[in-house]
Amino acid sequence: MSAKLYTDTDKYAWQSEFPLVEAYNSAVKDLVRRRFAEFGGDWKEFVAGAADDTITKDDLLKIEQRVLDYGYRFEPSAISSAAERPQAYRDKGLHQEDFSFEHPEAPIAAADAEGREQRGVGDNVVTHAHNLKGIARYVRTSDKVLQYLTEGVPADTIAIVDDSGGTLTAPVLEKFKGVLCAGGTTRSHLAILTREYGIPCFMNVRLSGIKDGDLIEVECSARAKTGEDYAAGVDAAARVWRLARP
Amino acid sequence: MSNYKPTYAQLLETNNLIQQNADEIYWLCATRTVQESKIFPVSAYILFSYLNCYYRYPALLRKIEERMLAEEIGDRARNQGIKIVAWCFPCFYLLGREMLINWGVIKPTDAVEDVSYVLDFWKRFQLSWHRNNGNLTNRQAGHRAQIMPEQRLQVFHADAYECRDGDPLHKAAQAFLAATAQYGFLVSCESRLTLHNYGPYRVSDTRQMLVRDFRELAESDYPWLDGVGRDIPYNNLTVTMIVEGVHINLLDDWGSFESVPELKSEHMVAVGLYTADNLSEGHLPVGMGSREELTATFLDLTERIKQATTLLWREMAGWTRDQQLDAGALTYYGVIKEFAHIAGCYEVDDWMKIDERAERFRPLLNDEYGNLFLGELVGYISSPSQRLNDYTMMQHNDNPTRSLSFYPYSMLVDGDYTARVGPLRPGVSNLPAKQDRYRTTRGVLTLEEYNRLSREFTPKLCEEPFRFLCADWVKYHYDDPRAGEMFKLEQQHSRVLKDQGAGLRRDDVEALRSKA
Repeated sequence: MSAKLYTDTDKYAWQSEFPLVEAYNSAVKDLVRRRFAEFGGDWKEFVAGAADDTITKDDLLKIEQRVLDYGYRFEPSAISSAAERPQAYRDKGLHQEDFSFEHPEAPIAAADAEGREQRGVGDNVVTHAHNLKGIARYVRTSDKVLQYLTEGVPADTIAIVDDSGGTLTAPVLEKFKGVLCAGGTTRSHLAILTREYGIPCFMNVRLSGIKDGDLIEVECSARAKTGEDYAAGVDAAARVWRLARP
Repeated sequence: MSNYKPTYAQLLETNNLIQQNADEIYWLCATRTVQESKIFPVSAYILFSYLNCYYRYPALLRKIEERMLAEEIGDRARNQGIKIVAWCFPCFYLLGREMLINWGVIKPTDAVEDVSYVLDFWKRFQLSWHRNNGNLTNRQAGHRAQIMPEQRLQVFHADAYECRDGDPLHKAAQAFLAATAQYGFLVSCESRLTLHNYGPYRVSDTRQMLVRDFRELAESDYPWLDGVGRDIPYNNLTVTMIVEGVHINLLDDWGSFESVPELKSEHMVAVGLYTADNLSEGHLPVGMGSREELTATFLDLTERIKQATTLLWREMAGWTRDQQLDAGALTYYGVIKEFAHIAGCYEVDDWMKIDERAERFRPLLNDEYGNLFLGELVGYISSPSQRLNDYTMMQHNDNPTRSLSFYPYSMLVDGDYTARVGPLRPGVSNLPAKQDRYRTTRGVLTLEEYNRLSREFTPKLCEEPFRFLCADWVKYHYDDPRAGEMFKLEQQHSRVLKDQGAGLRRDDVEALRSKA
């Protein structure tokens, strides 16, 4: 038994942009159609009370379960999501040893006259007087931050992080010599914070072949990428070089 | 059952207010910020908050207006500072409506009295808050937030201490700004809802002033600051920052700014520090007795903030995902909770709980669906409800879309609408219970004391004879004794301007400042 919803007749729309959104939203609409039909009355009465009581959390749990039963696994954002429900989320390799970003679009080049091998680029947040050299260290989990909080951040650390938020590294950020972030823009929270701290930072880095412990140089003397650059689609990439492996 | 019957004029105005917010959403969300976090499921909690706003804001705003009208709250906000609520408040509510329309749970013709009321409250608040520049939003003002009256700005200008890159005050202020911004992001669960900027205000041909607010730093509404924020002696801090050699060319309704050239720490040439809340007579100076005292105050506060950051990070990193979801959603939803404090009717169950009607949707809010659905709603503008006829060219992107659904005018003919979403239902939270401690400018209070004092207190500038003595009146009556008295009220704690009255121009203030 099902009923027709107001939005079922729509001259201009068809479905959502992303399949998962369409699957979820269609499933909720199906649920509403069924509950409205079971209610059997007027929409005004349904929406003013019955809809709140008959569309339940259990109903919505079943929608997720159906998606998981098809074998779909969600892309995680927060560490806690995959940690609490590994059966529902994809493994992003956060605890994988010997991890390195391998972005397909990372420009790489053979060593130059100074022995610098380009291994990527990023959007420079602030132009500094000189480039920065330091040791690349991936900081991808709260366990790693906790370790640094307890033991101290190793000297000369240029932290490589996944996301542009300012919270994961909050208690240790100011101890980093530099930051390379694989997400965001020069307006993101992490960019704002590194600017305030005066820490060289690249956002939106595309890297390849940089491992934990590599000595790297980042071109933070390059011009900073501006809002106008983003709006105009201008690529103002600054370079990242690998210098040597210990 | 409400007997509400909308008029054509009401619907026209409501749709106009919806459209203004629709344009603002796209500009602020799609072209300006990326929100990511490894700690918080940010997009999921944002969606969760939208639902809570939709179900709870109408009843809570009516409860607030039983004590104080929106336009009076706007006066208080101008006097004491407040979170940038500009676009957040209507947009969060309207995006909750948009989610539910796309789920088929409601129609665009449902809760129409609520929608009109929420937007009308917003309009009255904004017009009052922005009284001095006459605009509804910063966007409408060409991305400026010139909120404050001359008498407040003169004190900020006069009392700011000169500093230069590398000197002790400059270093201490810069360290404070960095540490407090970081703490603020953490307090507000990876959002910027504790950090706000106002201005710019022109101080000279080469100098401009930003007023930078850091709010909700101590033990107050958030249960996660109980204990964590106990050693922070101010809940709100305001840094007045005068910059030289840069032009602040944009200050948006997030409270974020941009400048030409890009603002660097060396551009900061003078600073001041204040605190304010709804129990204070405007902004009270903090550590402003001398340059040395201000330097020491910044250093002391920075150390306290850093300690609180570490404590809070340890607490948050140990939270369950449901706790993270609750805290983030309540932070977003709570963007207007200060209205309840101002009106003296704040209740924990109103503002720190997820309504059971929103709570039932929690199972949908996994990380991926959260990111994608939020992206569709505010970035791609691609949800079915947002698509319009093919001739349409949306502001900013030229696509045949609109971020937020209008009211159909057909309801005037067919009467096919519902009025309200109903009263509050019980709420839930997975977070620890809030302790009864609220840091204010009158000390640490219980909530009962805080509400009572809020109801009893009216700042002098918000009552007769001063409430309606606006900038345009001062222009023609600066020699009126009431103008002098009003300016002296602002000047009572000023190191440079005490008892100077209403006759000073900006250059006079600069001259007095230079001599001091």
